[in-house]
Amino acid sequence: MTDRFDSTVTTTCGYCGVGCRLEAHARDGRIASISPALDGPANEGHTCLKGRFAHQFSRHRSRLTAPLIRESGGFRIATWEEAIHRVVSELGRIRDTHGGDAIAGLASSRATNEDCYAMQRLMRAALGTHNIDNCSRVCHSPTSFALRKSFGLSGATGSFADIDAAGAAILIGANATEGHPVAGARIKQAAIRGMQLVTVDPRRIELADYAVLHLSPRPGTNAALMLGLAHVVARDGLVDHDFLDRRTEGYAEVEDLLADYPPEEVARITGVPERDLERAAHIYAEAGEACILWGLGVTEHLYGSEVVRLICNLALMTGHVGRTGSALLPLRGQNNVQGSSDMGALPDTYTAYRSVEDDEVSRMFEERWGVSMKRERGMKIPEMFDAAVAGDLKAMYIFGEDVAQTDPNTSHVEAALESLEFLVCQDIFENETTKYADVILPASSFLEKLGTFTNAERRIQLVEPAIEPPGAARTDFDIITTLSRELGHDMGFDSPADAMREIAELTPDFAGVTFERIGRRGLQWPVAPDGTDSPILYDEHFDLPGGKAQLAALPYKPPGSAADEDFPLILVTGRRLQHYNAGTMTRRTANAELLSSDWLEIHPKDAAALGLSSGDRVEVRSAVGAIEIEARLTERIEPGHVFTAFHFPEIRTNLLVGQSSDVNTSCPEYKVVAVCVTPVGREAPVREMAEAVT
Amino acid sequence: MDRNGELTDDDRRLAAERSGLPEATVYGISTFYEDLLVPRGARHVRVCTGTACFAATADAHVHELEERLGLGMGERTEDRSLSLGETVCLGYCHASPAVRDGDVIDAGPDVVERVLAGAAQPAPEPLIKSLLDEPVLTRAGDWSGLRRALSESTPEELLEAVKDADVRGRGGAGFPAGTKWEFTRAAEGERKFIVANGDEGDPGSYIDKVLMEDNPHLFLEGMALAGFAVGAEHGFVLTRSEYPRSKPALEAAVAEARAQGYLGEDILGSGVSFDVTVVEGAGSYVVGEETALLSCLQGLRGTVSARPPFPAQRGLHGMPTVVNNVETLCNIPFIAARGAEAYRALSLCDTPGTKLVCFNERFERPGVYEVPFGMTVRALCEDVAGGMRDGREIKALQIGGPLGGILPAAKLDTVFDFDPLTAEGCMLGHGGIVGFDDRTDMRAVAKHLLRFGADESCGKCFPCRIGLRRAEEMFTNGKPVERARLEELLEALELGSLCAHGGGMPAPIRSLLLHFPDELGLA
Amino acid sequence: MIRIEINGEETLVPPGATVLDAVRQTGREVPTLCFDVRQAPFGACRVCLVGIEGARGPQASCTTPAQDGMKVDTHEPVARRVAAAVVELVLSELPGPPAEHTELAEVARMLDVGEPRWPGERHPDKHDEAHPYLAFHHELCISCGRCVRACDEVQGTFALAATGRSFGANVAAGLDEGFRDSACVACGACADTCPTDAITEISLLHLVDQEPVR
Repeated sequence: MTDRFDSTVTTTCGYCGVGCRLEAHARDGRIASISPALDGPANEGHTCLKGRFAHQFSRHRSRLTAPLIRESGGFRIATWEEAIHRVVSELGRIRDTHGGDAIAGLASSRATNEDCYAMQRLMRAALGTHNIDNCSRVCHSPTSFALRKSFGLSGATGSFADIDAAGAAILIGANATEGHPVAGARIKQAAIRGMQLVTVDPRRIELADYAVLHLSPRPGTNAALMLGLAHVVARDGLVDHDFLDRRTEGYAEVEDLLADYPPEEVARITGVPERDLERAAHIYAEAGEACILWGLGVTEHLYGSEVVRLICNLALMTGHVGRTGSALLPLRGQNNVQGSSDMGALPDTYTAYRSVEDDEVSRMFEERWGVSMKRERGMKIPEMFDAAVAGDLKAMYIFGEDVAQTDPNTSHVEAALESLEFLVCQDIFENETTKYADVILPASSFLEKLGTFTNAERRIQLVEPAIEPPGAARTDFDIITTLSRELGHDMGFDSPADAMREIAELTPDFAGVTFERIGRRGLQWPVAPDGTDSPILYDEHFDLPGGKAQLAALPYKPPGSAADEDFPLILVTGRRLQHYNAGTMTRRTANAELLSSDWLEIHPKDAAALGLSSGDRVEVRSAVGAIEIEARLTERIEPGHVFTAFHFPEIRTNLLVGQSSDVNTSCPEYKVVAVCVTPVGREAPVREMAEAVT
Repeated sequence: MDRNGELTDDDRRLAAERSGLPEATVYGISTFYEDLLVPRGARHVRVCTGTACFAATADAHVHELEERLGLGMGERTEDRSLSLGETVCLGYCHASPAVRDGDVIDAGPDVVERVLAGAAQPAPEPLIKSLLDEPVLTRAGDWSGLRRALSESTPEELLEAVKDADVRGRGGAGFPAGTKWEFTRAAEGERKFIVANGDEGDPGSYIDKVLMEDNPHLFLEGMALAGFAVGAEHGFVLTRSEYPRSKPALEAAVAEARAQGYLGEDILGSGVSFDVTVVEGAGSYVVGEETALLSCLQGLRGTVSARPPFPAQRGLHGMPTVVNNVETLCNIPFIAARGAEAYRALSLCDTPGTKLVCFNERFERPGVYEVPFGMTVRALCEDVAGGMRDGREIKALQIGGPLGGILPAAKLDTVFDFDPLTAEGCMLGHGGIVGFDDRTDMRAVAKHLLRFGADESCGKCFPCRIGLRRAEEMFTNGKPVERARLEELLEALELGSLCAHGGGMPAPIRSLLLHFPDELGLA
Repeated sequence: MIRIEINGEETLVPPGATVLDAVRQTGREVPTLCFDVRQAPFGACRVCLVGIEGARGPQASCTTPAQDGMKVDTHEPVARRVAAAVVELVLSELPGPPAEHTELAEVARMLDVGEPRWPGERHPDKHDEAHPYLAFHHELCISCGRCVRACDEVQGTFALAATGRSFGANVAAGLDEGFRDSACVACGACADTCPTDAITEISLLHLVDQEPVR
């Protein structure tokens, strides 16, 4: 095998949160081929078309290879010296004139832990602000919030391997075979072997065909569904009272609340038949070991964080947590969305979710960094855009994020970026966001850097460079530490390993983490000083005062968006197998050949009412925006919903998504958007037909 | 398929939709079975190329049909009115050669003329005779065994009786049925099954055909008794599409038996339930192998699986399953009715019970005969079957099927029993006896057998898939056969193959090398 | 635990382990073609043959359960001879010698099998290169079934199937329509496991020096 390649490096995939271990084979300075590592803990010798094949973007001709500076409406190439100088002088000026809080930073959830740690240190120590956030804001921040409240730690309670040991599993709000293909394959094989799978999704996802039961609740009614399941568990004597007594608090209020959610009521709210609800509850509760897996179909809602708490409730009521085969597994989207948050690239926490308001923790960082910091939290992403439009936020430093494509309410985002005095973007390609940049810095992809990613199992895994960044591009770590130094704060890191050393020293949960110990199998945090890691959490106590988990009595409340006369359909947005999020990387690979554009899925009944056939172009309009797209009829979706993804800038799906977001974490409600669909070239026919009838 | 006379991708997509199987799987299944591969005209003629028909005409009937119809094997006329295919074997070996014209199976010396004239008529059914005063297998089934077992025995007692009777499998392997039943009974599983192997694909053999079509009640009784002893409530029979009358005959008998209360729920008020489903195959020899058979029953490709696990542990749908040959099961009613002692007393030698044997058209009195174990092959061929017809001499016999060794005339005094035949490099197998008369070219026999073997290989294991084709090529490529290379190949086949198809094919070739080396064209 | 002896060395394996598992546990190799550690054993290639004391003839180690007290000899001469004969047959059905980096080439080297002495039918050329990533050169397929099992047992897409029978046996994607039009999701598990490069990455096709066809 090695004759054909110059070198082979084992690294971790930079696409999704599964964190496949890959063997990257290079030849002549390019990636020749990638194959899955047989000993990858999460993937065990398997991977998907993104990790396996979609690597050509790394040498795509449109790769950024030199710094760019805005000049007369366009960009010109600059030297690093000039670019750095420009960034430092602008950010420095704004910091010194208006204060550090007039600047905000966005860390990339695709970048390494060390990159993100360096970024948050730059924002806090070099610029003096807590205005740092990352894209978990728009996907799993509700999960993080809720898990910390219910159990204590912000991460999956087990590993993917727990799926193999489970007798039953509920998969809710995640299309695993498309969004997390290797995890999806594992779930499918388990289901084929006899694991009782219950899928919950407004669409009939592929795994629904392997499930023993599929539930299609109306978008935005997940909370009612979870309360209904809990009601049946309590009603039918399936509660593990011993577990509740020994290890939890808060059941009494929950029990009272559950009385309001009998199956008939839940059926009325969600549309899920009573019998199915009862059956699902029994399947989950009666299994010896059972897992719950969820995705953005749970979190990207107005009350997403509450639904996650209700998920935790259900697991606690049945005692299905803290053992092999009984795990709660949020399917984290990006390759390092877990890690970027773990590293404190968040406005309200340092590493390991310790609050910036905590005096003791703050002082520890202040001492190490030689600065003093505020005890108040900084801005979350949506607040940053609001502040930019209001004129209070003057500059942003964004790396590895295309907010103009992926964040909701695109018009508002664009307005915000326009309003900034200074925007520096650090990325591997020009994108919708860099159009507004003043300086663009060419950075590195996961194939070109050293560091670690943390996958959805809390597993910290090594990333090793297989090739060099192209042209004059540099690694993100290098750029960030250099900028920090030029801004007056030298971090003293010679390499990413130095950053990890500091992280370990200052963070008890990562105390034993070293690159050497990570090795080939990775380490699941918390990692004790001697290197012992934690595949299973909460086997004896929860990470809350008193060691007890907290149940939450949270009633159902309707979603932020509801269908009405003007906007009679609900749009749910999601992913497709061949592409990843903004499609920045995948659209520059042959994956684009396999799937070159997107379409709107619509049920034949709704299509008939609109006089639509598959292939017709339609306009989709919401309260905040409109797009044009091709429609395709399918019965895998329920009447009343439509579905599409967000990978293609030509379609700009997020123009439709409004400001509605999670009450606790501001995670946007991508999953419930009231829209109206009309064939292009015609007036809304529904009204016409209604008029004709009268 | 019937609309176009051939399978199209649309057919496959429809099958995938209806069955829930992936499209690729359906494609794979559709390219495995002979019946699905050959395009059919409005009139579909299939000529038998089995060993008995070969022994009768040296395949002259095949060539004649091809020439006179102007079609090669597997071809169809432009206007789709007529197609020609081959089939192995139609089970009319007593009247070879045989040709199937549409649904009419005709056989006899002038069959080609009649078919060409469009005047095919149903062939005569074979003679069936027992040498025993008390026939076991040729007496009409009357369910007396089941009646007695349900009222007087426990399942364990019946199982013991079958073990005592030492019934050895009649399909070819000779494995003791009682032992197989015991394993299955003891195995863990939600449900158990009895599967009857009615896939009598051996050219020259028509024993099971006769049992299924003319004595279905005896056979069904055997299945029900197996179900009772093992704890299975359902049985399946795999029949062959080359025997178009088998499935209708069995299904009619099943309906009758249900009406009489011998099959179904709570049989005769005993609390025991048993019912039977009949499934017809689609043209593959190797599905006579038990794991391939189970795969075929499940609607999949008939490929062989490694054992262990054995069907007794994990068989149909993963459940413990008894797979027994049809004739084996027909032995059981007698044992249930009369006991193991009586069964053992029937035979002249160590192997208890009786055996059905059948003879091909070359013999004076071909047909199915029930005989006791222990007679010599000579007695069978000359006394019972009357020797070769038309004053010809026996040159050699193939006993037990195409994987059986070749017994030369000089060895006719061998006792017709499991061990004595094995000692001569032959086997009892299924009991079919194909006689080659003195006109036969033994090299042609080698080619015939190897071609059959290579074509019917399921294709899974490498030695058989590739090796049988290479062996066939050695005899058809016009060059002299290098003996040492042939021996190497035979060793790889015998010791390396996954099942008895590749593993057994060397046996007749070795017999030919031993007894007829000069005729084989060796280097 | 089961106590089993491999070439005189005793080792312990858990119940359910195969003889091949035991052999590999002692750090030894037995050549295989249809075996992949990510899939259930298949028993098709008959190359993993070993000698087992008391057994009649060579046994396929991948599908033989390890039993207490078994004595296994991985160099048993008849087993090796038959395995080599099988590999020679496999080489004979391909249009040319296998590329050096393939598992098949490695196995041929392990068993010291040179050019096959079998003139005779070969697989006809049939290339599917319509997919952006995956290529199928059907004439290189030896029907080991690993790609089908990778697609079934690992990925769970069921896009591939074994087709035909006897010498014509091969593998097809979908209704033999090629990867692109089939249910294939391009995970590459098939290319990863193929021992002959019948299925391989398009981008790797030109990385291999083409050897002259016989």
